Amino acid sequence: MDKIDPETKRILTAKENRRQKLASLPYPEKVRAVVQLQRMAVPLLRNRNKRVCIWQIDSLEVSSKDR
Amino acid sequence: MEKTLQILNALERDGVLGRYAIGGAMGAMFYIEPVLTFDLDVFVLLPQKGDLILLTPLYEALKRQGYATEEGESVNIEGVPVQFLPAYNQLLEEALAEAQEIVYENTPTRILRAEHLMAICLQTGREKDRDRIRLFREEATIDAGYLDGVLKRFGLEEKWRQWIK
Repeated sequence: MDKIDPETKRILTAKENRRQKLASLPYPEKVRAVVQLQRMAVPLLRNRNKRVCIWQIDSLEVSSKDR
Repeated sequence: MEKTLQILNALERDGVLGRYAIGGAMGAMFYIEPVLTFDLDVFVLLPQKGDLILLTPLYEALKRQGYATEEGESVNIEGVPVQFLPAYNQLLEEALAEAQEIVYENTPTRILRAEHLMAICLQTGREKDRDRIRLFREEATIDAGYLDGVLKRFGLEEKWRQWIK
């Protein structure tokens, strides 16, 4: 197996820690993160003619252009 | 999403649904990192006529409240497209019966147990289910004994061994 240099190892460890941190977020915060992901993904998906929409939920400010 | 859950609770209270619990990506996300999804998958027990599971009374009850069915049979309830999935086999029936009670902000709801969500992924068997199993194994706290029991009961042990190779 290839030896991983210390800097790459540090980056991979930090990435893993970040994912564990995301996994342990409270559920409502994860839901807010999903809506953020939807905001990022919707323009790309709409360009590919996919019919998707961003959730319109109370705890978020969503601009009318997202609807 | 809290308002959506309140509507689901009211449907259960009024007997339109037998019992419901969140599954799919949104269910998984209770245990793993957030992932992109556009539907809230809700597993439900529904009234049956012979062998036929009836979704129509549920859709009609929602329509009376102003929530119409959209493309792909999902229903937009308070800004969230909800996909109702009847518990159509024994694994889903057990998953629904043993779903855990949680409180979302101030509203009680239910989420399928991680072990059942993993078993459902195995049974469904798509590439994205394989990815989800990997995330569960890396990030979630799993009751190994409970998972073994589920896999045994539903004949999924061999597939599990193949997938975790």
